[in-house]
Amino acid sequence: MLARVIQSNAMHWLGRQLSNQDNPASWLDPLMTRINPMWVQAYTPARVERVMQETADTLTFVLRPARRWTGFRAGQHVNICTEIDGVRRNRTFSLSSSPLLWEAQGLVTLTIKRLPGGLVTNWLHDQVEPGQIIGLGEAFGEFLIPEPAQPILFIAGGSGITPVVSQLETMAAQDYPAPVTLLYFVRTHRDVIAGEKLRALASRHSTLTVQVIATNESEEPRFLRGEDLDQIADLKSREVYLCGPKGLMDLAGELLHQRGVTDDRIHSTFFAPPAPAQLEGSELGGQVTFAKSDVQVGSEGDANLLEIAEAAGLKPQYGCRMGICHQCSCRKTSGTVINRLTGQVSGASEENVQLCISVPRGPVSVDV
Amino acid sequence: MKKLNETQLQELEQDLNSIRDEVLADLGERDAKYIRRIIRLHRTLEIGGRVMMPFGFIPPVFVAATASLGIAKILENMEIGHNVMHGQYDWMNDPNLHSQTYEWDTVCTADSWRRTHNYEHHTYTNVIGKDRDYGYAVLRLSDEDEWKPWHSLQFINYILLSVLFQWGVGLHELESEKLRRREIRWRDKLPFLKDFARKGGRQAFKDYVFFPLLTLPVAPIVLAGNIGANLIRNLWSSTVIFCGHFTQDAETFSEAECEGESKGHWYLRQLTGSSNFTGGRWLHILSGHLSYQIEHHVFPDLPAHRYPEISGKVQAVCRKHGIPYNSGSFGKQYGTVLNRIFRYSLPDRVRTRLEGESAPQAI
Repeated sequence: MLARVIQSNAMHWLGRQLSNQDNPASWLDPLMTRINPMWVQAYTPARVERVMQETADTLTFVLRPARRWTGFRAGQHVNICTEIDGVRRNRTFSLSSSPLLWEAQGLVTLTIKRLPGGLVTNWLHDQVEPGQIIGLGEAFGEFLIPEPAQPILFIAGGSGITPVVSQLETMAAQDYPAPVTLLYFVRTHRDVIAGEKLRALASRHSTLTVQVIATNESEEPRFLRGEDLDQIADLKSREVYLCGPKGLMDLAGELLHQRGVTDDRIHSTFFAPPAPAQLEGSELGGQVTFAKSDVQVGSEGDANLLEIAEAAGLKPQYGCRMGICHQCSCRKTSGTVINRLTGQVSGASEENVQLCISVPRGPVSVDV
Repeated sequence: MKKLNETQLQELEQDLNSIRDEVLADLGERDAKYIRRIIRLHRTLEIGGRVMMPFGFIPPVFVAATASLGIAKILENMEIGHNVMHGQYDWMNDPNLHSQTYEWDTVCTADSWRRTHNYEHHTYTNVIGKDRDYGYAVLRLSDEDEWKPWHSLQFINYILLSVLFQWGVGLHELESEKLRRREIRWRDKLPFLKDFARKGGRQAFKDYVFFPLLTLPVAPIVLAGNIGANLIRNLWSSTVIFCGHFTQDAETFSEAECEGESKGHWYLRQLTGSSNFTGGRWLHILSGHLSYQIEHHVFPDLPAHRYPEISGKVQAVCRKHGIPYNSGSFGKQYGTVLNRIFRYSLPDRVRTRLEGESAPQAI
């Protein structure tokens, strides 16, 4: 509410004059956290309503975001922020519920697997209880159901199923008019997330085929095979959605290419820290100028700009440190960087870069 | 200045680094809770002051409102703004408490402050000619500055500077002394002046136009109260800052002795160029813990509420290396500041004769 009022230009200007903050609505946040944490304005507060066990290492958190949250489309993800031992931590997770649940009941769900050694996922699993508040950002992401409807093939692995569950539920509610196939890879059948929901959807809707494949239950690991794709009748006419570990995504990409599925039909989203692309070590690194701080340092190898800045004693803002949340985005004024995730080489001109995934190639200047 | 050789300086550096590392490793929820509590107190006092001010036609309410707003401004400037901008809370990763984006409730823009204070003053502390905070280019506080006749009236300058402190700090980066000496041109200072006008305008608009007009029938009372609150903050922050570097025994340095200095030498300069004052917990909080100026200058980016906890260790390091640790009661330290301003307003001939007479007490 307050955030909405202050969005009007005149009020925003006045708020900035009075509070000296670029986001004047959050000036009262320190008091609001005590009075009613759902009134905090810096992020959208979401109250944890229920926590449900999905598998041994996966929980679903049912959240009730403040009503000013602008909603989402099936397949999108969201940044959450929590404070752990005094430090604000941002992480990105897929929304696992359908937007219909948000519209009808004001609820959304996040289905989160405990990552070994993961700071935030372990904290969420061990410390979060109903009644607690978690901060939400606005939903984003382009992993969306095609419009108009097209035949679809989903290939999901592990907790990469979460955005797919949201999409399948949404499509089922609309009586999606085209065939949909899901190949769902799990380690063992005990690791199936949302198994009951998937079974129920498949039994109610004849156009939906769900195939759960356990990779680690036989002596030989049972990964995605060519036959799995060949059995799908009209493979070439399908939109293909990939979400899972990098190994599965790479394998799927290769098998699909072999079968003539073109890149414009393949949609993928990361669900875990993607492994860095292989970068040629010899040409990486260079003199980095942090213009605002008036600091110049040399760098070697595949150190990213965020690490280089921190090693030089600077403390730029950051979030996920894996190229997702854009908290660390800033202006590169000159020089070439390589995207650590994709291996893509940037132009040499001025543009926004994400510090955490940008590796300098030669001299680079950024506004930090 | 106390002389240490390079090996001793290295040892000093290691001793101080280990104090710093210990605090860094321990940063966490306690520090986050502390600064948020202070911010809540600031918001409460500011809102309280603003709400009470229109009822200031009742004298006790006027006093309460003015004090409340004045203390709010002191807390925001000293314990929150100054310390946040030093990066003391950057590790919290809270965008509202980030050193490079924080803007504070005073005329000086945060950007200008980060340049003149965080960089110039904290790097070249008490180096005459490089640390423009030393005397703020309007006061002569050391004999490395040549005496000029106008210095004899510098006590008036001091009073004016204290009363208008936020405007003085805001204009600090104008480098008026260099303009006067024609070392730089007004044209070079245009971008700075634009920023100064924007921020000064914002502060004046808020306290002297917007809130008085909002409560039009009692506008003069609100205006008076707001001026009073700004005055309280100006006098207090000026006094605290003067006690940090201009006390009797706070040392000054020449450019030559700091050329190419090591980190250990920088530490030594921070230790001997700063001075603390003692007092109760609230005196420390209201000074933004600049009462622990020595600890602050050695570790400018450690959360300031930690200074009292590490003070004992810093003193032990000073004792170990035979470095003086300049501390005393608030009254005593401020007395020596006034004394220094007065003494250096006199021609050297008169001053040395005066000092000669009181030599036994002087050091």
